[in-house]
Amino acid sequence: MDRRTVLKGLAGAGALAATGGLPMPAISQGAAARTLRFVPQADLANFDPVWTTQYVVRNAAVLVWETLYGVDEKLQPQRQMVESEEVSSDGLTWTFKLRSGLKFHDGEPVRAKDVVASLTRWSNRDSMGLMLKAIQNELTAVDDKTFKWVLKKPYPKMLLALGKNNTPCAFIMPERIAQTDPFKQINEYVGSGPMKFVRSEWVPGARSAFEKFADYVPRQEKNSFFAGGKQMLFDRIEWVVIPDPATASAALQSGEVDWWENPLPDLVPVLKKNRNINVDIADPLGNIGSFRMNHTHPPFDDVKARRAVLTAMNQEDYMRALVGDDTSLWKPLPGFFTPNTPLYTEEGGEILKMRNLDAAKKLLAESGYANQPVSCIVAQDQVITKAQGDVTADLLKRMGMNVDFVATDWGTVGTRRAQKAPHNQGGWEMFHTWHAGADCINPAVYIAIRANGDKAWYGWPNSPAVENEVTAWFDAKTLEEEKAAVARLNKAALEDVVYAPTGFFLSYTAWRKNVSGIVKGPVPFFWGVSKTA
Amino acid sequence: MSASATNSAAVPPGLAIARQLPDLMQPVKVRRGVLGFLRNNPTVAIGAALLLCLMLIGIFAPYLGTVDPTAIAPAKRMRPPSELYWFGTDALGRDVYSRVMFGARVSLTVGLSVALLATLAGLAIGLVSGFVRWADAIIMRIMDGLMSIPPILLAVALMALTRGSVRNVIMSITIAEIPRVSRLVRGVVLSLREQPYVDAAIASGTRMPMIILRHILPNTLAPLLVQATYVCASAMIVEAILSFIGAGTPPTIPSWGNIMAEGRALWQVKPFLVFFPAAFLSITVLAVNLVGDGLRDALDPRMAKDL
Amino acid sequence: MASYILRRVLVTIPVMGIVALFVFSLLYIAPGDPAAVIAGDQASPADVERIRQSLGLDQPFLVQFGGWLWRILHFDLGTSIFTNLPVTSLIAQRIEPTLSLMMLTLALTLVIAVPLGVIAAWKAGSLIDRVIMAFAVSAFSLPVFVVGYILAYVFALELEWFPVQGYTPLADGFWPWLQSLVLPTIALGSVYIALIARITRASMLEVLQQDYIRTGRAKGLGQPSILFIHALKNAAVPIVTVIGIGVALLIGGAVVTESVFAIPGVGRLTVDAILRRDYPVIQGIVLMFSFLYTLVNLMVDVTYTLIDPRIRY
Repeated sequence: MDRRTVLKGLAGAGALAATGGLPMPAISQGAAARTLRFVPQADLANFDPVWTTQYVVRNAAVLVWETLYGVDEKLQPQRQMVESEEVSSDGLTWTFKLRSGLKFHDGEPVRAKDVVASLTRWSNRDSMGLMLKAIQNELTAVDDKTFKWVLKKPYPKMLLALGKNNTPCAFIMPERIAQTDPFKQINEYVGSGPMKFVRSEWVPGARSAFEKFADYVPRQEKNSFFAGGKQMLFDRIEWVVIPDPATASAALQSGEVDWWENPLPDLVPVLKKNRNINVDIADPLGNIGSFRMNHTHPPFDDVKARRAVLTAMNQEDYMRALVGDDTSLWKPLPGFFTPNTPLYTEEGGEILKMRNLDAAKKLLAESGYANQPVSCIVAQDQVITKAQGDVTADLLKRMGMNVDFVATDWGTVGTRRAQKAPHNQGGWEMFHTWHAGADCINPAVYIAIRANGDKAWYGWPNSPAVENEVTAWFDAKTLEEEKAAVARLNKAALEDVVYAPTGFFLSYTAWRKNVSGIVKGPVPFFWGVSKTA
Repeated sequence: MSASATNSAAVPPGLAIARQLPDLMQPVKVRRGVLGFLRNNPTVAIGAALLLCLMLIGIFAPYLGTVDPTAIAPAKRMRPPSELYWFGTDALGRDVYSRVMFGARVSLTVGLSVALLATLAGLAIGLVSGFVRWADAIIMRIMDGLMSIPPILLAVALMALTRGSVRNVIMSITIAEIPRVSRLVRGVVLSLREQPYVDAAIASGTRMPMIILRHILPNTLAPLLVQATYVCASAMIVEAILSFIGAGTPPTIPSWGNIMAEGRALWQVKPFLVFFPAAFLSITVLAVNLVGDGLRDALDPRMAKDL
Repeated sequence: MASYILRRVLVTIPVMGIVALFVFSLLYIAPGDPAAVIAGDQASPADVERIRQSLGLDQPFLVQFGGWLWRILHFDLGTSIFTNLPVTSLIAQRIEPTLSLMMLTLALTLVIAVPLGVIAAWKAGSLIDRVIMAFAVSAFSLPVFVVGYILAYVFALELEWFPVQGYTPLADGFWPWLQSLVLPTIALGSVYIALIARITRASMLEVLQQDYIRTGRAKGLGQPSILFIHALKNAAVPIVTVIGIGVALLIGGAVVTESVFAIPGVGRLTVDAILRRDYPVIQGIVLMFSFLYTLVNLMVDVTYTLIDPRIRY
């Protein structure tokens, strides 16, 4: 160390001698109670929630920005920024009136033109937004507080589109920021939400900080998920990125952090034993594991080969490998939709219960499989895909298939899965991923279930039967009709094997006992949460 | 005055036969051959014996009571060490003992290959660089360039370019280690070539290859060997680190680094997942280092003359 | 001498250019697309393509490289694809922890390892020698993260003497800064102490055989004087070499240590950037490292001439 550092150090040492040099920063008891230190599921590397669909960005964005509507515990959209809405009798004109008193973090009031610009940007990126854009006549601000959206065809799911929590959400930004090209990132993070983003303290990969927005006026109703009044009881929230689960566990135990979003299931027993820590299910909507096969070339272009894999697979193996031995954390999923939601169905799911290796081998032979190599690309840096990949490799080997296990990283998977070619030309036959349960509750938000060939998600399943049912769901007028459509959809999707669901699993969240107000939900909710020193 | 009874020759008067003096210098028992060498240098012996054991483990892994190290059985995951699973099972139900036994193959292959390749290449480059002055600048700049690239970057790029494989891991670690070896050789050569005996050799007309062989090489051998063992040990540890960040040998091939990387998040609850491969890795590295140290002591030409 | 240094500095530029080209090409050919990772899992192939175009990733190689080189000459290292922040500010944010860690580790290593190696060489063959070498070898054999976890568990979790993770900037006070770095430094340093001690011992052993040492003893010089002034200076060439090279190794170890102790340094930034294919960040960091190493190597070469007058350029 050079002289300057030593001198600075001596001065500092003298000044801090009284504090005894505790590892915690020397802030007062009161201040500590008003700061929350949170370990997120991943790093906040960028912060444009419309430009990217990463969950972690959305989770941070709900602190800084608001949407016009917000879904409640029943996943029904409720008014948030909007005071009232009106739809014309022919269903083509929607008129919205904003709440009074809404302000942006830079002091400006929220105006209808900000909303118009934000919705325009959002509708270029979101699937429901694109549908709206396609049938849009005009989207204009009537005055500072009112805007209207005139369509060419009725769109009954308008409120859901504006209030859904599935990425990308329709966050409202100031006009000047919302005018950024939808395919470029914004670089100003100003919103009207309960917290301000402290840009100067943001170290991507290490930490982010949020400060309470004094001029935020919450709604009067009781809070329920994204709806109602968002009472912010902290002055400051710090997101501390700790990529190593063992370190995060130790930090939670020693009190250096207050809340760990996503503890590793195998570490949970240690946390549960700790007298100062609470552990509970994070989101009852859970997650659905999946692997997708490439429908565009052999061997999985033949439905028999795909069904063979489903016949042989054992969802229990996948789930145990993923979340461990705690059976309360997972269940087999004979379908594609999230359990405990209105549209959940098991129609057509018998094939996933068979676990019959011999029948699978027979089907595989019938499909004409001639021992060609099957490349299975597996990202090693994501716990979920790695665990699933190992199980699948073993499964395919036991089925007698010639597995080419490509161990790589999430970035490479991201590129490679976009190629339709066979693997020896840079493509793939199989890759693994997963979906948040909240994204699998209905066909509107569920990109992965679509089977419109080239326009579908990676794997490019092509099943007119499935697409018919999707349209039927969109056109359905009652819940009963919706359920019937989804049941038929599920059956068709399983017959065609749009993708292979590996099971439904829950994850935990863990927090120190002096933190209260944490609720189960699709994102970590920071409003209503408080901490005693 | 005691006369030796056996001496029958006449003793001239006035002279005395000196007493037999005790033998202060015991005759050095010259041990010949490899066994003799080993007995002279116990560190080499121990290290080599350990290394041999580990290599045998690697070679005969299928016969050591192991099962398929890649067979998963999620229903039996995370079992602690017991009679059935000597080292326990991992997160996917695989038998840790089998994985560690088979893992010896990969770790040893990586370590020994990298050591051999890097040493040979580094020696050649360092010698050329130390002797041929105009080449020195160019070569050292290239070595500087190579050294600036973090080995991790190289390994991940190679892995992404082709496939995660043992061969790519070996290649990337070797490329990363060559500059250091060559720099060391060059440093020694630089200080040696100013020695008077080198000047004398040149003056007396000895050709360069002979000078290198007889004067320079023996003196580079000792630090080079130490460096080579370090390279071998470090290669094994670098492989573990590469697996730690996901850029190492593919998971279908168990290596000690792999096994540790997969178990590291859980070491607080299931320490056996990290403990066993760590123990084996440490013992292997220890063995390599013992061999290196012992060889160094044995091969030092100056110490040899002191016998 | 001065002309030698000047020549070396001038040669640095083409070297770094070669490194830049090499790294740039490697990343260019390597599959793995930042546009795909940015777009997120739910995006469609068309979205990914649009993002790629907006990032300029679809332009020809030479155009991209040329543009990048031009910006470098203006000290503009580009903007991170992922975070939309300038690379220079990303590195500047993270450089302090890594430099602190490395310098502390180097200091600790020199203070402990060199004397240990000298003593081991002096008492070669004795019990002390064997103990020191045994310690060195065992410290050397454990991977850094195992040492790190053990230290964190014993000293941070159980005894609570140090924090489990994180880094406190020097500006927040000397003691907190030091405390946050003690465990990582020991974990990282354990390997290098072992290495330097061994090299010191090996090198010293060679030197201690020399005649001039014997002469010094005969003249009546005290043992410390012989060891540290005469012998060490002559043994220093390989030691200095290894120290210089050790800086390179510290980066690799720092990546692991930063991961285990959640220190927001440049090592972790590099790995994250590599896994995400954040090209500008990777290139910026490699350039920075390349500059650092060249500087270190220059200092090593200059130090050769200082300690060994026989080495002439």
